[in-house]
Amino acid sequence: MKLEAGWVPVALSSSIEIGTSAGAVVEGNEIVVWRDNSGKIHVWEDRCPHRGMRMSFGFVRGDHIACLYHGWQYDTAGQCRHIPAHPTLEVPQTIKVPTYSAEEKFGMVWATSVTDAALPNIDAAEVTPARSLYVDCPQETVRAALDALGMTPLAEDAGILSHNGDRLLLALQRVSPVRTALHIVILGSPDVHGGAGQKHYAHWAESLRFRLENPDVAEIA
Amino acid sequence: MAGITLYNYELDENSYRARLLLSMLGLTWKTVAIDMFPGEEQKKPPMLALNPLGSMPVLTEGDLTLYGMPAILLYLAKAHDPAGRWLPQEPAQFGETVRWLGFAETALAPAVTARLQALFETPGDAASLRAAARKAFRIMDDHMTARHFDGREWFVGEAATLADLSLFPSFTLSRDFGVDHDEYPALRRWIRRFRALQGFRTMPGIPDYH
Repeated sequence: MKLEAGWVPVALSSSIEIGTSAGAVVEGNEIVVWRDNSGKIHVWEDRCPHRGMRMSFGFVRGDHIACLYHGWQYDTAGQCRHIPAHPTLEVPQTIKVPTYSAEEKFGMVWATSVTDAALPNIDAAEVTPARSLYVDCPQETVRAALDALGMTPLAEDAGILSHNGDRLLLALQRVSPVRTALHIVILGSPDVHGGAGQKHYAHWAESLRFRLENPDVAEIA
Repeated sequence: MAGITLYNYELDENSYRARLLLSMLGLTWKTVAIDMFPGEEQKKPPMLALNPLGSMPVLTEGDLTLYGMPAILLYLAKAHDPAGRWLPQEPAQFGETVRWLGFAETALAPAVTARLQALFETPGDAASLRAAARKAFRIMDDHMTARHFDGREWFVGEAATLADLSLFPSFTLSRDFGVDHDEYPALRRWIRRFRALQGFRTMPGIPDYH
C-alpha cells in the first residue's frame, strides 16, 4: 500500500529510540521516522529543502531535527526554525518539510497522507515486539506465504497468525517491487513473551525469510 | 625507535580501526601520513620494506612491525590492555571475539572494497560488492537482534570488545557506498552505544553529530 492510500507500517516502535531517527522506504518514497525527546513519533519526507540531504542522516535535538549538512533545524510540524549560518534570520514559512500523519499502535509506527484513514482494531491490551524482517522478495510473495500459513487478514497489508498458541500481528511494508519489510509483534504481555519468546519469533522470522528467498532449497529442508 | 608509530591514511577504514583502538586504550602514538590515493605510496619500496603486501595500515612499536588488521588490533589489546577488556581471556568469549575479528576481515572485505570503489573508482563490481556487504550486515543484525532479547548490548560478553570495534567501521560507513541503515534496526541501536564509549573518535564519513 502507498502512503497516499492508507496507514502503512514503517517500523517497530521499539526500533526508534527517543531522540533518534531512521530512514525507511515505502514504494520507492524515502521517509524519515524520528522520535523527539518527549517521545512523540514523526514521519516526514526524507529530504531537507535546502540541499536535498536525507533528514534521516540528521540528528534530533529536543523537539527539533537538524540536517546533517548545514544544521538547518525543523520543528515537529516540519517548519524550519533555525539556520545556523544566519542565526538572526526569521526563517520564511515556505521552508518546510512535507510531513505525514504518524501514529503508534500495536507496537508499530504507522504513517499515511490520508486524513481520515482508520487503523484496524485488535483485542490486545499489550504487545511484545519481535522484529522487522527485510526480505528480498515482492510483497505478493511474502503475503502468499503468510496466507498459506493461515494468517487471518486484518487490513489490506496486515493480519494475525496463530502459532503454537501465540498470536502474531504481521504487517507488510512494500519497500520496492522486489523488497518487502515484514513487521512482527507478539500479541500479549512482555511479562509472558519477553526474552525467550521474542528470540523464538525472531528466529522463526529468519527461517521464514530463508524459505522466501530460497524457494528451491526450502523444498529439501 | 621507542613508542608506537601508525602509518596511516585518514580515509582508510582499517587505519581507522587502528586509530580507534589506540584512542580507546588511551595510548599516545606517532602518525606517519601515507598517501594511498592517488599516490599509492603503500605499494612503493619504502613502505614495501615495512609491509611487502602493500596493505594499510602498518604499525610499529620498538623492533616490532605489524600489518594486517587483526594482527594490529590483537597485538595492541594484548600489549596495552592489561585488564583484557578488549580481548576477553575467558576461552569461549575469546573464541567468539576472534571469530568476529575474522568476520570483519573476510565477510566485510566486500564492504571495504565497495567503499574504496565508490570513493576512488578502484576496480570491482559495485552491485555484487554491495550485495555481499548487505549479506554480512544482515548476519550482524540477526545476531544483535537475538543479543538484545538476551539483555546484551554487545557482540560478545557484557562489554565492548575487539568484535564490536572491528565490525563498527564497515557498517557505520556503509552509506559511502550506497547501503542505508534502514534495514538494520539492531545495528543502528548498537552503533549509538558504541559511539558513546570513552575514547571514541570519528573519521570522515562518520559525523560528529548523531
